[in-house]
Amino acid sequence: MTVNPGKDKQESPPFDLNHAIEHCAHWLPIQGPIKDFVHHNTLHSVQHHPFHQGVAIAARIYGARSYLTAKDYQTLYQDGRITEAAIDWAIKQSANPTVEATKLRASLFVTDNCEHYPPTSLAQHGIRNHWLSTLEIDLNSLMRPIMFRLLGNFLDQGISRWTLAKDNESFWSCIWRLSQNSFIPLYPFDDDFAKQGLHQTPDEAIMLCLQRLVGKEELYEQYLLELLLTHPGWSGMVRLIELTPLALLEPRIISLKEALAVELLAEVALLRKKFGQDFINIAQLGHTKELPLLKDYETKIHIPLNLKIWHEAMEFSLHSELLLALATQNTPTPRIHPPSIQALFCIDDRECSLRRYLENSHPDIETFGAAGFFGIDFLFQGFDDAYPVAQCPAILKPKHLIKESPIAIETVKKNKLTAGLSDLHIKPHSLFRGWLYTQIVGIGYAARMLWDVFRPNSQLLKIKKLSEVQAHTQLHLLREHDEPTEDGKLLGFTFTEMADKIEKQLRTIGLTTHFAPLIVIVAHGSSSTNNPHFAAYDCGACAGKPGAPNARAFAWMANHPSVRDILAARKIVIPATTFFIAALHNTSRDEITYLDQPLIDAVPKEPLHTFQQAMQNALHKNAAERCRWFELAPQTNDHGAAHEHVMARAASIFEPRPELNHSNNLYCIVGQRALTRQLFLDRRAFLHSYDPSTDSDGQVLANILGAVIPVCGGINLEYLFSRIDNAIYGAGTKLPHNVIGLLGVANGVEGDLRTGLPSQMIEVHEPARLLIVIEQTTALLDKALAIIDPALKEWLDNAWVRLATYDPCTHKLAFYHASGWEALNFPEHLHAPVGEHSQAIIAGRNTTIPVHIIRSHA
Amino acid sequence: MNTLLLACLFLPLLGFLGITIFGHNEKIIAQLSFFTTHAMGLSIFLLLTFWASHGFPSHEFQWFIIYERGSYQFPLLFFLDKISATYLFAVWIIFSVIVRYCRNYLHREAGYKRFFLTIFAFAFGLNMVVLSGSIDVLFAGWEIVGISSFLLIAFYRERIQPVRNALRAYSVYRFCDIGLLLGSWMSHLLFHGSDHFSNLTVLFEHAAPPADFSALLLMSVLIFIAATGKSAQFPFCFWLPRAMEGPTPSSAIFYGALSVHLGVFLLLRTAPIWSYHSFTRVILFSIGLLTVIIASISEKTQSNIKGQVAYASITQVGFMFIELSFGLENLVLIHFLGNASLRCYQLLVSPSIVSHMLRIEGAIDTRPIIDNARLNARLPSSIRDTLPDVLQNTLYVFALQEGFLELLSRRVLWSPLKYIGRKINKLDQKIKYLTLLGVCLLFITSRFTEATQISYFAIPTAMAMIAASLSAFSEKHSFIAIWNAVAVSCFFAASSVWFIHPSDWSYLLLFLAGIIPSWLIGFWILHHLPTITTSTETPFAYLAMAETHPHRAIVLFISFLGLICFPITPAFIGEDILLYHASSHHNAWLSAFIAISFVINGIAVARLYLRICMGRPAEVMKL
Repeated sequence: MTVNPGKDKQESPPFDLNHAIEHCAHWLPIQGPIKDFVHHNTLHSVQHHPFHQGVAIAARIYGARSYLTAKDYQTLYQDGRITEAAIDWAIKQSANPTVEATKLRASLFVTDNCEHYPPTSLAQHGIRNHWLSTLEIDLNSLMRPIMFRLLGNFLDQGISRWTLAKDNESFWSCIWRLSQNSFIPLYPFDDDFAKQGLHQTPDEAIMLCLQRLVGKEELYEQYLLELLLTHPGWSGMVRLIELTPLALLEPRIISLKEALAVELLAEVALLRKKFGQDFINIAQLGHTKELPLLKDYETKIHIPLNLKIWHEAMEFSLHSELLLALATQNTPTPRIHPPSIQALFCIDDRECSLRRYLENSHPDIETFGAAGFFGIDFLFQGFDDAYPVAQCPAILKPKHLIKESPIAIETVKKNKLTAGLSDLHIKPHSLFRGWLYTQIVGIGYAARMLWDVFRPNSQLLKIKKLSEVQAHTQLHLLREHDEPTEDGKLLGFTFTEMADKIEKQLRTIGLTTHFAPLIVIVAHGSSSTNNPHFAAYDCGACAGKPGAPNARAFAWMANHPSVRDILAARKIVIPATTFFIAALHNTSRDEITYLDQPLIDAVPKEPLHTFQQAMQNALHKNAAERCRWFELAPQTNDHGAAHEHVMARAASIFEPRPELNHSNNLYCIVGQRALTRQLFLDRRAFLHSYDPSTDSDGQVLANILGAVIPVCGGINLEYLFSRIDNAIYGAGTKLPHNVIGLLGVANGVEGDLRTGLPSQMIEVHEPARLLIVIEQTTALLDKALAIIDPALKEWLDNAWVRLATYDPCTHKLAFYHASGWEALNFPEHLHAPVGEHSQAIIAGRNTTIPVHIIRSHA
Repeated sequence: MNTLLLACLFLPLLGFLGITIFGHNEKIIAQLSFFTTHAMGLSIFLLLTFWASHGFPSHEFQWFIIYERGSYQFPLLFFLDKISATYLFAVWIIFSVIVRYCRNYLHREAGYKRFFLTIFAFAFGLNMVVLSGSIDVLFAGWEIVGISSFLLIAFYRERIQPVRNALRAYSVYRFCDIGLLLGSWMSHLLFHGSDHFSNLTVLFEHAAPPADFSALLLMSVLIFIAATGKSAQFPFCFWLPRAMEGPTPSSAIFYGALSVHLGVFLLLRTAPIWSYHSFTRVILFSIGLLTVIIASISEKTQSNIKGQVAYASITQVGFMFIELSFGLENLVLIHFLGNASLRCYQLLVSPSIVSHMLRIEGAIDTRPIIDNARLNARLPSSIRDTLPDVLQNTLYVFALQEGFLELLSRRVLWSPLKYIGRKINKLDQKIKYLTLLGVCLLFITSRFTEATQISYFAIPTAMAMIAASLSAFSEKHSFIAIWNAVAVSCFFAASSVWFIHPSDWSYLLLFLAGIIPSWLIGFWILHHLPTITTSTETPFAYLAMAETHPHRAIVLFISFLGLICFPITPAFIGEDILLYHASSHHNAWLSAFIAISFVINGIAVARLYLRICMGRPAEVMKL
């Protein structure tokens, strides 16, 4: 049955394969291998549209929900989390002249169980559905195991015992090799059509298949996109590896085109096997009017008005909680005494409560916040690491490589026998040895299992805890020669480069005078057991790694006399009595480790001891505050017991929630600590230090926004979309996950790679967009916005994050819209709730708590 | 001791019932499961101590006879010896670990109650198998294990992939039930009521075996079929990795630890039968060897951790089969304990693999293990570079396709049945009604026919029965047609046996008392399917009734169980007697037909149940 392509060609331009693949790839998720989980906007593909429109377009493509259900919002309203004022505000924002405000308002409270349903979409109801509904063949279910097994084995990073890919072999030639040069056929490529197809280039093969399968040029691109979206996880992974081959430790050569060609050939082969040569193709089937088409995905969309209003109202209510507290708190007074200790934390929302408790424990401690790579971007290769990893936000491309080495050359003696035995269950064995081991030591695992399950806190499963990472090493920070390494990286920094980095960081957070005798750089990481998503728990500003190397580098550089000399010349005088040390906060176990013993030995005992005491105290309280979210945790005032609990939680092999990460992240406050010192923010705020008085041209602010918007905004939107539709944007429940090729997780053995966050991480999240509050005048902010990257401006103008300012002089609030600033005024009688101290506020509550003003701090 | 034995058996059932009735929230379920698990653990401990203190006797206990008529009786028989003791011990350890593990692991999961219900049902079935004293009781437990396994694979019912894999596993289980169904019938036939496991050894100690070679061979092959299916041995290796769809601990307890070793248990129990002749031992050895070869090669290219553990487990069970063929019973028991604990542990910590590979090892190591260098050194230089490549590819393709076992079994077992069924379904509706009428006519004619002649009527009836089953098997569109075809097939089965054995009505009543109510209830539900927007565009959508109408889904589930003669209705015993009677008049072929037809019915109804109850509710906004 030949197809006559001439007929439908007249209107649309001829089909260009490369162009079409570029278009399709745009819709794929960009989530890298699971070892470095980087948060990003799940819907980056529609970021150039305004938020609500973008979400609706995405729904049309992926078939996902766009909002919570009307009932969810109504419940929030009944619980008082959505205020009347916010509903009014949201209705005003919607600015819909066709519907009266009162009518609109009434429509919000109608019981409606369907409005949140996803629309018919390309991914779920497109032209590929015809295979199942008309030809009665479940092509997707037949294809998935074949494709995933080939892709999984080709890309595998170390689970498979036999490696499929040979050096410098592309996916296409690999499939060719397997199907042509083997005594037994590779199903289903033993079909004649597929055999011939494999001899051609991928381009030719794709065109051949499309002609056979679709037969109508204007539907080619849609068919390709639908095919890719039947398994967005794998398609996205292939695309990511194609563009950034270095994302893999074992490099692989693959492109989306090759994967598509292989898959299309297999499809044709399967159809031919079932129906013979003359199966009916899509053009011959004809289609109904309701069929979603790629060409009108941007126009034929549906934004449910009542849900949009509900969502905006919810967000504005939650945002107002902070704004109200900022507006009504006593005017923040700068600290009078110079602090005796300063601590620089990561911007991370999990450090928000720790900083509160730390300052509470000792009034002479001043804390700062900055992105957790502390302005020093480099590739880091640890003492026993096989490969270097980037220690900076994913948008930066570091040029320097830092290596770690042991201080004294003490050989690490491992007891080989016990080491071998304890890892037996994970090592490959020969057939005979496997049999022998199972016979002899298998039963020992019963004991190990009993121990792990009934006594989780003792550590038999020896995953190195972060706190145990040996610190008897040093970083080679100083560059000794200018010869780049093979990959073109520079080994270490020069003093000038160091001074540049330190200066920039200190100026960003506004710490250029009043240095305390002890300054602690606190990085953070998280240890968890039996958790493939561990990288999502570490520092987002370090691309999913613990930030310890950055903190150590910062402390070393800032302590170095040569660096200080250069800094002094640039008017930042660090007194000789000031010491920097590095520490690592383990956010799941709430433990702290002080790094680099030689540095610590040099520090005067008194401030160090004070800090350590205050920190220990703060960590216990922090653990207690975290426990309020864990249903099975002890809900007591006994901080020690709470701390025990979080430690056990992180060490248990059966605990899917070692911590709740960024759950409920909502605010980002860029300003002086004085602004937030007396606020109870319920671990929901990213806090970045910034001194509005030192930034005359907005350059510092532009720098801060350059890190804050993609990092915090990315985290926020990933949580938001994973929460709104966990089945499509998220990774579903963790429990059946299976690790595939060290690349990602999938459900079962033959599932698609799951992108986004598992349900255990987002189940208590309130999905609202991030509100960035900046302590600065709108005029200066306009200057800063004029010089930031247009790609970042898109986040703000299309409202993927919200922005507000707090004027440092007039204390007035203004809310950003693409059209201009909206002055915010709260009625006189409204006041933020007040609490005596943190424990009083959290007592007995296990949902999110509105921002409180803490009286004891005021 | 008997009381303790019953306690071990029924405490999980008690837990099951307790959770069904009182399990309103997670906390209560957790407490109930905690107490019953430890009560069961305690009674297993006491039972084993007591048993040991009596000097490890082989203890048999007949509780009571459920049903007795003529030469047929169905006693509740239990048996404890070192084999059951070892298995009980493993159940104790692993079940306690899993229940503790799941307390936290499943916290806040939507199917918390469903999960605990299913694993308690599993424990009940498992203990029943382990403690069974005769093949009938064993079969009852076997079915319970099968169904709970089926339910746990389809635990995440909103996704299609687990549901499909559940059906795959269930089809293999069900197919291999032919082995046990016919095996239990043959044991009645051959050993005449002395089919107690305790008697088996004695029977074979006589100079002459209780049956001739061909009968023993047939019986052994039946047992092997049953064992290979449950233990995922050759040629059924493929279902096990795909069954890893439920929460990780459920995969650990079923496919890592306990369920997968039940085939080995069956072989241990029936060892006297199949070990009498060395030929059958050779068969067993070959099954084991083939499994070891295929599974260990397939393991090499599993790029996912659970699949790898699954194949490692299959390989070890294959070794157990080999050991069994040499009669090394004690070694097998040790091997079983070792493998069960190791695989269970490996699966439980399988999510750690990423951090393990990256943080502890500090390096990943993906050197190809097909090591050219060593091989090359031994080969003549002229073929050094040409031969290994193609061999490597061949080996790789073989491993990648997992030995082609799935394609093979599809082609041999599945497709022909589908094909015939499709042909039958294409026939005119009238022909089907005529067949039904014809069988009824046969009843009337039988009144006027001589008793000896009536048995010939069974032949067309049995043909009609198979045809009805196949029709149900390949029907895709109409649910009611499937349901009715299965019921008709059961009715034909009963009639064909009646034609052979017209004097006795009582067992027919027993059988039909289970079938007819199930059929009627199911029929009613199918007739009143909630109007779901099943548009013409998606005729094969899963209807998700378990989500939208959970109560109806449960009722449909129960009638599904009834229709496949699950041991909750009298039909289970009826089925057993049916087979018993069918064979008692030199009509062994009829039993085989009935068994095959039951198996096909089971698969057809299971698929119907999945399509109606599973899936995600169709929530779509038409634009």
